[in-house]
Amino acid sequence: MVLIRTAVLALMLLTIGLFASHTSAVSECCRSYTRGIIPCNAIKGYSVQTVKELCHINAIIFYTKKGRAACTNPALGWVMTCVDRLRNKAQMVHNRTSQA
Amino acid sequence: MKSMSMTNLGVKCRTDGQEAMENLTDSFDNSTYDDYGYDEYELKEPCEMSNNHRLELVVGPYIHSIICILGFIGNSLVIITYAFYKRAKSMTDVYLLNVAIADLLFVLALPLIIYNEEYSWVMGTAACKLLHGVYSMNLYSGMLLLACISTDRYIAIVQARRSFRLRSLLYSRVICFFVWVFALGVSIPTFVYYEVFTSNNTAWRVKILVPSTQIAVGFFLPLLIMVFCYTSVIITLMRAKNFQRHKAVRVVLAVVAVFIACHLPYNITLLYEAVNMFNQQECGMVDIQQVAKTVTKTIAYLHCCLNPVLYAFIGVKFRNHFRKIVQDLWVTSEIYVSTRRSVDGSSDNGSSFTM
Repeated sequence: MVLIRTAVLALMLLTIGLFASHTSAVSECCRSYTRGIIPCNAIKGYSVQTVKELCHINAIIFYTKKGRAACTNPALGWVMTCVDRLRNKAQMVHNRTSQA
Repeated sequence: MKSMSMTNLGVKCRTDGQEAMENLTDSFDNSTYDDYGYDEYELKEPCEMSNNHRLELVVGPYIHSIICILGFIGNSLVIITYAFYKRAKSMTDVYLLNVAIADLLFVLALPLIIYNEEYSWVMGTAACKLLHGVYSMNLYSGMLLLACISTDRYIAIVQARRSFRLRSLLYSRVICFFVWVFALGVSIPTFVYYEVFTSNNTAWRVKILVPSTQIAVGFFLPLLIMVFCYTSVIITLMRAKNFQRHKAVRVVLAVVAVFIACHLPYNITLLYEAVNMFNQQECGMVDIQQVAKTVTKTIAYLHCCLNPVLYAFIGVKFRNHFRKIVQDLWVTSEIYVSTRRSVDGSSDNGSSFTM
């Protein structure tokens, strides 16, 4: 019986400890797409959100030079054009760096 | 529990090294546009869900730990009673013991899941799958066993003539075995897919399949069985001329009412979420939905602390056993405190257990 009381106490402390460290680290998800077109030269970078992970829709998230994030629809032509430009830019940097 | 819910599949089991983000930034582009020709305020940004985050900060550490502790104490008491004081003699006993085991495993898995989600699965992918699998299995077996209890009472009261044949210990053990196997079977998608999906199509299917199964098998099936059985039980009781019947009817009504009050709101939010999952939604709506889910999920978890009270401790015999446990605990602690020596835990009332 002493054992049980110790077990209950230990579990209580453990549970409170576990839950007390609970800070939200849930990732943010795009739930809708930006309407309209963002000019490619306003975009600094991008990341990819896929339905294969936690989030429920596929999206390309653009980061603008003004420091905002924009969820966009990967099915649209302009989105992939901007992605390609960023890729080319990265490739150029790669070429320049590896030549030097 | 969970962003802990079983519907948040996908990224859950990933450990830190697996970031899949493809992030490109150009720091050398010196273009000096001030006006990019679009309105910054029309952008749809990823949803922050700040209200839900704030709520989880309270619900996580305080309310969930209270539920876990109460659930642990209540269900362990039921198990201890069956282990040391009262051998499982009837069909109902076997079911009650199994419900207590399912609920106990559930409250043990819960803090571990929450802890691991905070620290990106320090225990690894296997632990992630195992814990979520155990969680899901106990959810299903717990709910289905409650349905079994209702059929048991139905047979005992409505089909009283057949009850001797149908309510044997062997039958109930076989039924419990099948319930656990069935619960394991329904949880297989959780065991298999609690990780990154391999294709879009599997992702869509599993993300819909898991909450739908939970709503159908984990709520509506037991609800239908319970409503049918308990309605028949109440009708039979009302016809009987017995002073005890009012108490029995009240108990039955309480069992059904608590079941519905705990699980209906959560299952409605799950259903709403499943229906709108792949549609575009505004962040405000998503946030409200998440808040509703956090609240209703907590209410649903509460059910596993109420089960011992509603099913076991409501019985007079069980309460007497329970009183004896408390007495034994009390006597032991008295001896412990007064003599400051370790005690082997056996008390002098003739009961034959040692801990």
